[in-house]
Amino acid sequence: MTLFIQQLFNGLALGGVYCLAAIGLTLVFGVLRIPNLAHGALYMLGAYITYFFLTTVGVPYIAAIGIAAIVLFVVGVGLERLVFHPLRNSPHTHHMIAAVGAMFFFQALAQAIWGADFRRMDTPITGELRILGAEISAQRIVIIVTAVIVLALLALFIKRSIHGQTIEAIEQDRVGASLVGINPSMVSMLTLGLSALLATIAAGLVAPINLLSPTMGDALNLKVFAIIILGGLGSLPGAIVGGFALAIAETMTATYISSALGEAVAFIVLVAVLAIKPNGLFTKAVQR
Amino acid sequence: MNSVSRSRRRRLSAAAIMGAIALTATACGGGGGSGEGDTVVIGYTGPLSGGGAAYGENVKIGLEMAIDDLNADGVEVDGNPVTLELKSLDDKYAPSTAASNAQRLADQDKAPVVVSPNAGAIKAIQQINSGRSNFLISAYTSDPAIVQAGNPLTMMIPPNFESYAEEFSETAMEHGGKKLALLGTQSEYGQQWTKSITDAWSEAGGKIGGDNSVDYATVSDFAGPVSKALSEKPDAIFVGGPSQPTALIMEEARKQGFEGSFLVMDQAKLDEMATVTKLDNLKNSVGVLPVSEYEDPGTEDFLKKFAEKAGEKKVPTSETALNYQGIAIIAKAMETAGTTDDPEKIREAISEALPEVDDKYKVNGFPDEITEQGHLLNPNLEATFLNEDGKYTKVPIEQVSDDK
Repeated sequence: MTLFIQQLFNGLALGGVYCLAAIGLTLVFGVLRIPNLAHGALYMLGAYITYFFLTTVGVPYIAAIGIAAIVLFVVGVGLERLVFHPLRNSPHTHHMIAAVGAMFFFQALAQAIWGADFRRMDTPITGELRILGAEISAQRIVIIVTAVIVLALLALFIKRSIHGQTIEAIEQDRVGASLVGINPSMVSMLTLGLSALLATIAAGLVAPINLLSPTMGDALNLKVFAIIILGGLGSLPGAIVGGFALAIAETMTATYISSALGEAVAFIVLVAVLAIKPNGLFTKAVQR
Repeated sequence: MNSVSRSRRRRLSAAAIMGAIALTATACGGGGGSGEGDTVVIGYTGPLSGGGAAYGENVKIGLEMAIDDLNADGVEVDGNPVTLELKSLDDKYAPSTAASNAQRLADQDKAPVVVSPNAGAIKAIQQINSGRSNFLISAYTSDPAIVQAGNPLTMMIPPNFESYAEEFSETAMEHGGKKLALLGTQSEYGQQWTKSITDAWSEAGGKIGGDNSVDYATVSDFAGPVSKALSEKPDAIFVGGPSQPTALIMEEARKQGFEGSFLVMDQAKLDEMATVTKLDNLKNSVGVLPVSEYEDPGTEDFLKKFAEKAGEKKVPTSETALNYQGIAIIAKAMETAGTTDDPEKIREAISEALPEVDDKYKVNGFPDEITEQGHLLNPNLEATFLNEDGKYTKVPIEQVSDDK
């Protein structure tokens, strides 16, 4: 039972990280209709920028994540302007190639600045909590709580604020939204910026329990794509449910069946979903 | 419309011209080697970008340091001064790319020696190094399969990893107990180690829990796999992959209350691990001896030069030190053989050259013989046990045969 509780919390923490990363990706898909293959690289860059502000500049942990998130928002906007916007009328393959190019560019940039060595980011949040006999590190509790708060704020932003509503409007009907005076260009920039910002929060939270390296985004990239396909491309609730479901499935499979299967479970679930319900669990996304 | 296509055409022709210039430049640079004092290219293909980049860089630093020192000392082959030059190509850890890189280094740059630090890549290069093109592979891998292949032009540098299993098991059992949990990485090499340790542990009369190997490169949070391994209440845990993630796993295990011993695979270096976690978390572990703990004649100077080159913070590892030795051996073999372009003669001369190598190049357990199959053997191989006081105590290792 202790093991179960332990793994449940580990799964929830992992789910929080997956969610934050997946939501950005699904937003970008909803608005720009492109799979942003550079998402993992933005996550990696977010981790390094957080590391830079925390270790090199010396600002406190939470502030470092905040500043890095703003920096990455700008990077996301830049990515939209310089890469995706010029390609808006090209075939879809061009976006994907450009995104892969951007991914390699960011990885090479990180290696040039910070080197290829792994780096460790220390967190001021230390200590363990005992919950029903299981030892849960405080950092993991922080991850879970922050993820929930950020997701709530995001939902509030999209449902209640004008800017957020424009995102949803564009997702639902690009032409219709333009007709009522919403500028799709602005919304595209806002969305990519927001997705990079969310990825940075995820990266900043998970970095202290893992390591920084220029390729740290690769594994996450695959998983978040599995999550948003599982949840339904472009669907916010889909990304949230998918993120937590996949993370818990992963930890529990690794615990009770086998470690090797735990890594593969994301893709087994993905194949099953594609076979049974190809549009994903939440098929809100407008398919055109 | 017209103007667009014209400017595009102009851009295309500009690109074509640049391309042509670039080609000419490489063609000129490629030949080299005539005039006073020959230049000999030492080829290197390794991962310089992507997930293995840190490893590839460590090897490269060792090669650069050796070549700088050798050139400063002066290499003389058959009465002529020779300048060594390193040419590195990135293979991103892909064997097929490594093989084409090696081919390129041998054909274009006339490299008599190509260094490769990865078993898969070496196996691919062994398909092409003694036939149409001839070159010696300076092989940095502890997988004995590469000498079992019977390739006449391979020099294997590190000790066979299978040598460690028995001594590691005994030491860990002595300081921990009889029950082992497996938590190594899922790479091919990691799995070979896991098997080797599994065999040695059962032979020594220990019990082994389920295989909890995880891919160190893709797991976002090690807490899950660690909790699972600890649920079996082991006395010792086998860990290992790259140093830094291995350190995190050990830290997590200690946090979750594990007090037994660790067996650390040779890919992870205890001193390098201490840069990402507290030494306290690493105590009671058996692993390979850190470079800085060697007492060879050249070790101290090597450490100083390394710190100058790579910075005080960076920990020198055997990837750097053993490749430093390797190039010194090859240079001496060239001098002994009296040739820089006949790899067969160079390979033959290695055993004669070994005792001739200057003491300054003996930094990390220097070999005194090379086996028929091409494996350099260090007569006093040692591993280490990091004890409760945080001191490295030496553990002598008896080397096993490379035969299957």
